[in-house]
Amino acid sequence: MTRVLVIDDEAQIRRFLRAGFELHGFSVIEAANAVDGLRAATMSKPELIILDLNLPDLEGSDVLARIRSWSNVPIIVLSIQADEQEKVRLLRLGADDYVVKPFGISELLARSDAALRRHLRSTNRDPVVKAGPLSIDLVSRTVALDGKRVQLTRKEYVLLRVLATHAGLVVTHQQLIKEIWGSHAENVQYLRILVRKLRQKVEVDPTRPLLIVSESGVGYRLDQGGSGIMGDRRGISPDKARCA
Amino acid sequence: MSTLQQRRESRDLTENLLRSKLEAGRVRLGARWVNFVTPNAVPMVATLAMVWLATVCLVVVNSFLPLDLVPLVYMLPVVVAATQWGIVPGLVAACAGAAAADFFFYPPLYSFWLQNPQDVIDLLLFLLVATVTSNLAARLKNEAVALRRREREITELHAFSQGLAGCLTSRDLIFAVQDYLSTTLRYRAVLITTAQDAHSSDDAGVVPDEIRRRAVDMIAANAPRASIVSEPRSDGAWLVRVIAPEILGYGAIAVELGDSPGERTEAAAQRVATLLDEATLTLKHLEVKQAIEQATINYRTEVLRDALIGGVSHELRTPLASILGSCSVLHRMPAILDDRKSHDLVEAIHDQAGQLDNQIRGLLDAARISAKGIRPQRAWTDPTDIVNAALKLKERRLASHRVTLDLDRDVPLVRVDSVLVEQALGQILENAAKYSPAGSEIEVSSRREREYVVLAVKDQGSGLTTDEKGQLGRRSFRGDRHPDSASGSGLGLWIASTFITANGGTLNAESLGLNLGTTISVLLPTVSADAPALADAVND
Repeated sequence: MTRVLVIDDEAQIRRFLRAGFELHGFSVIEAANAVDGLRAATMSKPELIILDLNLPDLEGSDVLARIRSWSNVPIIVLSIQADEQEKVRLLRLGADDYVVKPFGISELLARSDAALRRHLRSTNRDPVVKAGPLSIDLVSRTVALDGKRVQLTRKEYVLLRVLATHAGLVVTHQQLIKEIWGSHAENVQYLRILVRKLRQKVEVDPTRPLLIVSESGVGYRLDQGGSGIMGDRRGISPDKARCA
Repeated sequence: MSTLQQRRESRDLTENLLRSKLEAGRVRLGARWVNFVTPNAVPMVATLAMVWLATVCLVVVNSFLPLDLVPLVYMLPVVVAATQWGIVPGLVAACAGAAAADFFFYPPLYSFWLQNPQDVIDLLLFLLVATVTSNLAARLKNEAVALRRREREITELHAFSQGLAGCLTSRDLIFAVQDYLSTTLRYRAVLITTAQDAHSSDDAGVVPDEIRRRAVDMIAANAPRASIVSEPRSDGAWLVRVIAPEILGYGAIAVELGDSPGERTEAAAQRVATLLDEATLTLKHLEVKQAIEQATINYRTEVLRDALIGGVSHELRTPLASILGSCSVLHRMPAILDDRKSHDLVEAIHDQAGQLDNQIRGLLDAARISAKGIRPQRAWTDPTDIVNAALKLKERRLASHRVTLDLDRDVPLVRVDSVLVEQALGQILENAAKYSPAGSEIEVSSRREREYVVLAVKDQGSGLTTDEKGQLGRRSFRGDRHPDSASGSGLGLWIASTFITANGGTLNAESLGLNLGTTISVLLPTVSADAPALADAVND
């Protein structure tokens, strides 16, 4: 069973997170404040941490930085209406992803799943990343859509590769720009155009992207695809990507 | 308020009283000599009566017991008159005494002729001593009077400054000064302002035009010192002083001093200046105090509002987050999944809680806009991403409608705060769903139109009347036609419109008429991009 540590001072939130995670085969450890949370993070060796930013005794970002100083355990941050710059800051501090309250359990489970898989991949070194009909082989540097090879330019491939190594997780604009153009270019405009070109090659309908999803003001996420914008009732419907 | 009014009323009363007194005085002013004689008549008569009494006493005493008391007895009226009424009655007593002594007691009797040279010396000596004595006595008297007056002035000034301490506004203060000058010093004081309505104010007609003109000049020049202005026609003098020159625009105070400039007027000018200085000082304290109070109030309001926004955000949205989260878990529980009724109920709770959360967010947005305005974080954004994010934001709300998309895949990038524009577009989608029948079509399109990117939402709903179109986007506007059918605070479109405007865009509403649907368009300005550099950067 995957152990998840929930650090949140609101008992009601902890209660539904416990119910939701346990329903999907996790075992849950709870902590109501930062001190207990940090202790539990060292003692119980959780495989995933859900961290609320609004803790009574310590800033959530401090807790994040402290855990990151000695562990690379996946961390998902919960926040109420954090502004975009704050989200970017948290990601830079080492959060794997964030979920904004109010959220549905499936959204959190999807993020958790992605974070756990990325963590697993870094130890397993699985070379192929799949996202819906798309598969990216990081060793042979080939991309296939429904089994058919797709020709990408160098920059398009770098973009897709970075997203693929974080499959299901958000990658900030700055991080993408740095990987593609080096640190000197800070222009989101280039990135937007490049994403548009990539979408035209890999998305069924580039105006309704299902794979390369934009996170407003923060970055992009390589999604599992298939979840149509109109039909899907995300947030409540059973998830497509269950935890293994 | 009531004390201020009372003060004003009493001021008016004293002013009227003074006005009548003054008019009576003006009649007397015609004959200057009367003015001089009238106050001196009583002392003169009394002095002469005393000399007469002394003569009678001497005559009586001399007939029984001839003693050489003559000069000594005549000295008494001199001392009394000089200490009581001053030097002039004293000297009159001395002369009258000398004359009476010569006439009644020095040989030859009943004649002013003096037989004995010794008597001549006696009388001259008497006159000399009497003059010196009356001079000294008079000076003593004057000093006592001055001392008493100064004491009274100090007491009055003290009372005045105590009164000033009780003033709450600068206007109170001006009235206090006017009161003080009018009632205590018995001078008429009038406030002169540069305001246009000065002539219609209560001082009109009281202050001669010449004085008013000079006062206005002084206010304009911001003259720091008081100056005495004579009014040639009525021959009266006024003291004019600009009030608190530090605070422009307050005006000047004019004090009628009565007679033409002289020593007394100088002293009066001095007193008026002193108390105006005092008032100016108080005024400055008052201004500082008020500024501090205002700043404190502003700060408290800000803190309260922030606390309210923060409190509402936390206290209301946290339980809602628990409810929504719990619903999402319930929904996946096998027991609920298998039971249609429970499933629907959970979904209903989820929907309602979600709407409540939306409403609270709307209120918070509105409060933030009112408090600080919005500072968009503008960055390059793909309009397609904005449309998709807004659709995702409202996907549950739109589930009951048929959404069709017509998105231009080559629409130019825009420089906006994507989060704000998404929220605005989401609100527009929400309204489209709210005001159009379930199952009807909502068409979302994006296209380039000259130097704008247009994002449009077209519904098949109730449409807009011309009147409603004009009001759309005003704060708290809600169509009168949907009082029951659609819930909402009416803030939605106002917030949307504010968000779009903050990003340099515009929100347009079009409707062919009642029940013919509405099209709401968001126009976002495009920025010309450096195409070759862009191609260079992206290709390869």
